[in-house]
Amino acid sequence: MTPVHATFGEVTAERRIASVPLSHVSVELGHLYMEDFEAGPGRLREQFRRVAPWLATVRALWREQVPGGRARVSTCFLVDDYFSRFSTPAELVPMVLEAAAEQDLTIDYLARESACAQFEDPRSGRVELARLVEDRIVDDPPPGTDGSRPPVKETGWLCNGSRSPRTTPLQAMGKARPWEPPAQNAKRGHSIFVDVELWDEKGPRRTWSCPFLAAVWQLLRLGLLRSEGRVPLTPVAVDGDWPRDWDGLPALVRLNPQAAPFSAYTTLSVLSPRFLPVELAVRTILSQVAVDDEVLRQVAARSESEGIRLEEELVDRISYVFV
Amino acid sequence: MLVMGEVQTGLLQNSGEISESACRQVLGLMAGETVRVSRRPIVHALSPERLTGVDCALPTASRSRIRGVGTVVTRCAVTGGRVAQGSTYVRVVRSETDRRLPWSHYLARPGVVEVLGKAKAADLAEGFTGDPAPGCLDLGAVSGRFLDLVQASPLLDRRAPFKMARTSLRWVAETGEPSIRFTLHTERERTLRLTHPGPFTPAVVDLCEDLALHDWLLTSLLVIVERARIGATPGAQAVARLAPAVDHLLHLWMPAARVEEWLTPFWESLERRPGFTRQWRSLVDRVRDQVAMNTLALLTAEAGRR
Repeated sequence: MTPVHATFGEVTAERRIASVPLSHVSVELGHLYMEDFEAGPGRLREQFRRVAPWLATVRALWREQVPGGRARVSTCFLVDDYFSRFSTPAELVPMVLEAAAEQDLTIDYLARESACAQFEDPRSGRVELARLVEDRIVDDPPPGTDGSRPPVKETGWLCNGSRSPRTTPLQAMGKARPWEPPAQNAKRGHSIFVDVELWDEKGPRRTWSCPFLAAVWQLLRLGLLRSEGRVPLTPVAVDGDWPRDWDGLPALVRLNPQAAPFSAYTTLSVLSPRFLPVELAVRTILSQVAVDDEVLRQVAARSESEGIRLEEELVDRISYVFV
Repeated sequence: MLVMGEVQTGLLQNSGEISESACRQVLGLMAGETVRVSRRPIVHALSPERLTGVDCALPTASRSRIRGVGTVVTRCAVTGGRVAQGSTYVRVVRSETDRRLPWSHYLARPGVVEVLGKAKAADLAEGFTGDPAPGCLDLGAVSGRFLDLVQASPLLDRRAPFKMARTSLRWVAETGEPSIRFTLHTERERTLRLTHPGPFTPAVVDLCEDLALHDWLLTSLLVIVERARIGATPGAQAVARLAPAVDHLLHLWMPAARVEEWLTPFWESLERRPGFTRQWRSLVDRVRDQVAMNTLALLTAEAGRR
């Protein structure tokens, strides 16, 4: 008898990672906080007026790069409903869309910032995106980190180097230890030391920081997050009237039925320079997030099949215009 | 250049074996990631992989200072709901620069440590499986920490049926002419040098974990038989001391159950020399003979009383 070659498989023993449709670039047209809303529709119009030429530029640049000029560009807009709740979707969404239309801008997707912390998914229940990302943080190790001790952590903080040693109070030790500077791990000559607060807790309630949620937002836009192997957040169209409550609005809404996919190989955010420190913090966080290997490979394979070379490091796939 | 790893194996700190669903919770080391479970021929649950950043000297036999920067991969496993393992490994490659790069560079290469400066694979391999100097890359500590995390799960009652020390297997895998060398050092330390054809794949890690598991089983059974002091203590007492082996260990022996086919010859060669399964069978026979003899003695005593 010839030997029989047997194969045996078990579904629960395999790892399945869903893939996500990808545009070439996701452009964030704006990020609305309560103070912007309170400043009235003029502020919003001004924002869109400043964004419009940059969107045109990025479209033109990608058209040149993509064979046949078929660049997939999607636009998105983020509304803060996490740090402060203001207005209602019924009131706010039409106002935003109108202000954008005045500048000939189409907003393809609208997202609620609280979704970056957690949201209720009709299929899989509560999805805690922020926790997902928190567990993927791999601390930038200072020289001398050999694995023998757990990483030095200040709970709820993340930095890019070694913090200053604690200076002890004068009474306790008799002699105060002189101040020593913190150091950046990957410094070039001199340090730019950054220490970012990821969250704080008052009683049982944890509040994620704005940079942390912005980091989650970037990862969503880059299509790099998975939960149990599935794509955690997919855009949903809203039929009929806008709800009167933010919780009634899907976490990510598709406004334009013809829109290119929400997630993209690269992102561009057009922001006011007042967001510069926030984005430095976002980059500090993102350069310490380990994205799933399989997801990275998927995205790399897809882009290569289109003849596009993506930057290896994910922070290099994110760009900004500060105007 | 080479891949090195360290597996720590120990008894799960629970009175009985745990269920498949408990395994999933105990090994849920990362939000949004599933624990992979296979049920044939033995229930084996594998945690998601976690990364740890390192920037330190690598162990070398020549004691020359070689700096490595990157991440190491750790995963934990529970076999048969009874034996827990923490396993860490890293691929060592030459860096294209001689200075440390931004951290995002290393995170784009998970599980890789880049060597800054000149290093020889043989020097590193000898250093790692030899006697690593303190302050060098300590994969055992990383494995141990994640294993502690699993053992500290609130789902476990921490009432293990017997005490057994963890064992540690440090291994180095390289590409080349197939060869395998398994060495027992102290009671708890083992090393493995493996040369395999073709490039490294995670299947090599599976093989090392499988060998570590079976070495721990064999070591544990030896210790239990030794503790029973067969012949020196009354039969009933000896059998009582052997009971934990019957209850918790004997059914777990499944060599090469999870090893890919191209790597099974390595297991087979270790079966020829030193012959893990041969020793295991002889011990199992000894345990069963003791139980049978004791049963016979009890029956004879019972008959005499009538």
